[in-house]
Amino acid sequence: MSKIDFDKLEVGYELPPLKTDAITHANLVRYAGASGDFNPIHNDPDFARKTGLDGTIAHGMYVMAQLGRLCTSWADQKQIREFGVTFKNMTKPGQKLTCTGKIKRKKEENGEKLITVSLEAADDSGEVKCSGEMIVVA
Amino acid sequence: MSVKTISKDLIGTKLDRYEFDVEKGKIREFCQAIGETNSIYFDLEAAKKAGYEDIPAPPTYSTVIQFWGYPKIWQDMENMGVDTSRILHLKEKYTYLKPIYPGKVSSQGECVNVTVGKMDTMTFKTTIKNAKGESIVEAEMSIFIRKPEA
Repeated sequence: MSKIDFDKLEVGYELPPLKTDAITHANLVRYAGASGDFNPIHNDPDFARKTGLDGTIAHGMYVMAQLGRLCTSWADQKQIREFGVTFKNMTKPGQKLTCTGKIKRKKEENGEKLITVSLEAADDSGEVKCSGEMIVVA
Repeated sequence: MSVKTISKDLIGTKLDRYEFDVEKGKIREFCQAIGETNSIYFDLEAAKKAGYEDIPAPPTYSTVIQFWGYPKIWQDMENMGVDTSRILHLKEKYTYLKPIYPGKVSSQGECVNVTVGKMDTMTFKTTIKNAKGESIVEAEMSIFIRKPEA
């Protein structure tokens, strides 16, 4: 079952955005436990300050996971071939994220219909935390 | 405390091979932690109805395999000269070859690039294989190491 119809989708099409609640310290502690990433810059404010940050910051992978939710709420996960991001700014507790995606390119290659979607996660002030691309096989 | 440094000599360094058991409960826990609610990650019937053989792991689940399967990564990085308290994640890229389902997987990481200078970065490539030895995910992670304040 494919949710994506290659022929009906145009370059420039925007995915339904995904908005998160304000990220809490508890979210990050829970994410640390689930993911196994216990780097204390994400869960220990005193430690984070000692390393020159002004408090804890979200795991980059927590932010990428939010973009992942955007991707899988639109495409069938089996269709996702590639998913990559670059982290641009730190995400701090209290910030809300809006995850957006836009079709950037459509091409047929080796008999496969591929859609490239550009992705972005930004906070309420518009600061981009993370941007990247996913390639979907339609 | 001496300031740690990394060097280009680390390119090609292979980390230890390890195995990890992908469990449904750990997939559920991870999904709950990221706010994922799609029933395919929680309910076998829903997953099968959507065309999966079993409960699939969500797109960024590989991070669980890497951290829970290889907690030694922090020590390895310190041994390679990385001040792990100053690491920030720069890039992450996954190529999906087959779905990750519950069951045994094996994995091995390798340092594929190092840059030193204004910004010190390291890139690791990790291939995750299923129990049949088929590659299922290729992950490429880049980190950078914040310089101590002047």
